[in-house]
Amino acid sequence: MAAFMEEALVEARRARDAGEVPVGCVFVHGGKVVARGGNEVNVHRNATRHAEFICIDAILATCREKRLPARQLFSEITVVVTVEPCIMCSAALHTLGVKEIIYGCENDRFGGKTVVDVAAVVGHRIEITGGVRADEAMALLKEFYKGDNPAAPPQAKKKK
Amino acid sequence: MDISAPPNKRARKLPNLDEDITGIRAILSDEFDEEIALIKAHSCELETKQQLQAVIQELSQKLPHFQHLKRVQDRSVLICPSSEIGVSQSLEQHLEQFAFSEHVLRALCQGVRVVEVPERMPRLRVQYEKTLKHWPCKFHPNHYSESLRNGSNFSSAQRTFHKRIGQLLVRLSRDINDNRPVGICVDPRQPSIVSIAGTTEVCRPHEHCCMMLVDFVARSQEGGATETEVTFTEDSKEDTTLRGIPKAYYDYLMNNEDYKDLTFGAEKSRECKEVNADQGADNLAKFGPYLCTGYDIYLLQEPCLMCSMALVHSRAKRVFFVKNSDNGALATRFQLHSVRELNHHYEVFQFTTKEDEDLT
Repeated sequence: MAAFMEEALVEARRARDAGEVPVGCVFVHGGKVVARGGNEVNVHRNATRHAEFICIDAILATCREKRLPARQLFSEITVVVTVEPCIMCSAALHTLGVKEIIYGCENDRFGGKTVVDVAAVVGHRIEITGGVRADEAMALLKEFYKGDNPAAPPQAKKKK
Repeated sequence: MDISAPPNKRARKLPNLDEDITGIRAILSDEFDEEIALIKAHSCELETKQQLQAVIQELSQKLPHFQHLKRVQDRSVLICPSSEIGVSQSLEQHLEQFAFSEHVLRALCQGVRVVEVPERMPRLRVQYEKTLKHWPCKFHPNHYSESLRNGSNFSSAQRTFHKRIGQLLVRLSRDINDNRPVGICVDPRQPSIVSIAGTTEVCRPHEHCCMMLVDFVARSQEGGATETEVTFTEDSKEDTTLRGIPKAYYDYLMNNEDYKDLTFGAEKSRECKEVNADQGADNLAKFGPYLCTGYDIYLLQEPCLMCSMALVHSRAKRVFFVKNSDNGALATRFQLHSVRELNHHYEVFQFTTKEDEDLT
């Protein structure tokens, strides 16, 4: 599964090039990538458009189009994401019941495992593995936060 | 009041929350609400107060415990948490490793008692007063925290407005949205309704009302990601926008005498982020709309963990909700706003209803 981290990193770099926080994600099913995406927060002015949500929406669109049972499909999906899913994404992935989550670097600000035990709150535990190509994922973030987030107000920029 | 009368077991009517929202209660994080736990500590009793200075001086260097407590009560002095002393150790044996001078060591081993002391510093006066019966504690009263606790943080006009929006949630859910959840976003400066969202039949599993609401707020800032069949209100004014408000809700409110005086619309995103340099102004006033910065969020249902975190990411100012949810993450199952590590914190309030009062 770790081989798919390269695919997620491709999405993260794509997000960076679009002026977004560089986080990328792919959903893997039956050995194939079935959804892929990077952060789309700034373009939509919506702070919830994280890479994981872009993939969740893609899967749900597929399910609707092909009339597939979403619940079952999610239970067979491995989520591969460059940064530990935040509390929001982690809660969504736990609630949707994905099979497992594999991530790159930790998110000590609002990670859904590091900061809050999301599984305990949602009442459902799934397998989570971190540290896969963590250095590369972290390097992307560090590079990004050296510059300015073009969408944030000036004061928020100063703090970074 | 006749307290001998049996409780009034009237038949439970369908809750008519419309008229029943009676108040607002702040949901403070655990450190404000919880009783302060006690821990066991060893203390000694000095023979004279003249010994105090020497004893305290050495203690503060060698055993710097209890920053939140007063170390001395009359002639009693706190030495260390009892848990620090080994199971088969005496106090004296424990103290030997710290190389106290002989007269201080002797003083520390006189009149030794185990006492219970507060584990941490109280945040509110009620907590402080409870700790006093155990051991004197340091306390920095905070006027704003106290006002949240006793409800004096809102003026009566503000309180009335919040309750009105709470009642509006109930009405919109009932009259427009088939009793499904509804949320409203308000810019508290005017105050003006920025966005309204409700879950619909065709909503996908994670499209909760709150997630839609933050996306509809994004629409008022020329953003928005969710594909929706909802029709939004067209703009009629230059300086504000109604694009975050679905037309169905807007028309209902426009045609309802009760809501004639409400203000609608969001400030438009500022072209360049020019700073409105009013010292002390908040970020919304300074920089214009950005996500939900400075905005208040009103929800019929307590948000789940996903939605609560979405509101953190969106930098909402305050969150008000009416009903508890089984998977609620602000009161029922968790208190996300108590997590200190997060980069943003909002205040949380729950509307109290007539039903709550009947229960107490």
